Amino acid sequence: MSAIALSGADFLREHLRARLTLVLLIVIPALFVLASASVLGEFASALGGSVAGDSASALGAGWAAAFLAGALGFFQISSSREADRRLALAGMGASRVAVGRIFASVVLGVLISVVAFLALLLSAGIAHPAHTFVAILIFSLTYIGIGTLVGSFVSGALEGSLTVAFIFLIDAFSGPGMSDSGGIAQVMPTRKAADVLIDAGAGMGSPVSDWIAVGLITLGALALAATAFWLSARPRSA
Amino acid sequence: MTGTGPILRAEGVEKGFRRGVPPRRRRIEVLKGASLEVRRGELVGLVGENGSGKSTLMKVIVGLLERDAGPVELDGKLGYCPQIPLLWEKLTVAEHFELFARAYALDPAAAGRASSDLLDELQFERYRNYRIEDLSGGTRQKLNLALALMHSPNLLLLDEPYSGFDWETYLRFWEMSERRRDEGMGILIVSHFLSERERLDRIYELRDGRCVES
Repeated sequence: MSAIALSGADFLREHLRARLTLVLLIVIPALFVLASASVLGEFASALGGSVAGDSASALGAGWAAAFLAGALGFFQISSSREADRRLALAGMGASRVAVGRIFASVVLGVLISVVAFLALLLSAGIAHPAHTFVAILIFSLTYIGIGTLVGSFVSGALEGSLTVAFIFLIDAFSGPGMSDSGGIAQVMPTRKAADVLIDAGAGMGSPVSDWIAVGLITLGALALAATAFWLSARPRSA
Repeated sequence: MTGTGPILRAEGVEKGFRRGVPPRRRRIEVLKGASLEVRRGELVGLVGENGSGKSTLMKVIVGLLERDAGPVELDGKLGYCPQIPLLWEKLTVAEHFELFARAYALDPAAAGRASSDLLDELQFERYRNYRIEDLSGGTRQKLNLALALMHSPNLLLLDEPYSGFDWETYLRFWEMSERRRDEGMGILIVSHFLSERERLDRIYELRDGRCVES
């Protein structure tokens, strides 16, 4: 195993040893998926949207993954910034620390997506399982980028979590199926992923252009996260 | 720098910080041309009032902070023990040694020997498999120091490394430092106590952003 993978495994272990994280990893997807079929439909209706039924459940699983991944992305960068910088200085280098952190983030993203997918599978059943899992994973990876981006600008735990939650709420309630999808919804990062997930929930495929769009957004989010980790591990200018 | 010259030389180091938000944004100049050097086999103290910039100078020297001006030259392997232990709460003491062994590019055998020797020397072997969140402040500080020493650096920078140590550990710390100094290591230590001055070969006082040898 390479030094980077071993360091990534240490970073991953650091998060998975937090009992509350593990509890939330189970509770949040279950809550979102169970609540989403009815409550999300009512919210959507009030906001001018139309999502309901299995599509709403599928969207709930995506949002659960996004919420958890955003919070974990934020804490990955904010809670260990100084220690990571010390490790980089000791010889690991900012690039290898950043790759280790991305490794841990992606594994966390996959774990979160698996749990959200299983919650959906057990509660609602899925017509297109592979299609749905990939869409949930995209939500998760996109929000890792958002969480780390917030973490690179905001150091306080309270301020950072609130910022991630604020972005999440705007994104969720302005997304496809939840409102009339005008204005700010056009530029929100998970718009296309939500389209794909709603289609999957309804048992339909998605156009190739949607898959290309979500692929590019996911790669962009991961590149953003890698840059944020790298900048965080480098010496500070002030 | 040559083999007999200083292993650390900082000349005219300047560092300032921006504070506040516009229109009340201001710049605080902490270091205004600080110069110092450390040679092999020397135990050098850096003293100064609270807020005089000792930790800032340390961070600039090791590269944790970018300096505004002034060259800093280092010769050989550097060990740095920060004032506050920079560790990962959920990882164990042994995992920290493994992580830093990879950073220092030590082979597993050398890393194992180094960690065992330091655990023994600082007497915290029984905490090897404890997570950091379960350690006392003093034991965290022992690990903080051990991580700076595990690759046998030529130059060791210690920023108040003994906060949280009990008296016996404090005395042992000085024995360790003096022994390493006698073996040729150059050590720069931020110190507060007048009683420690007799243990130091030279002392710099950081006053108004500049180092004055006293």
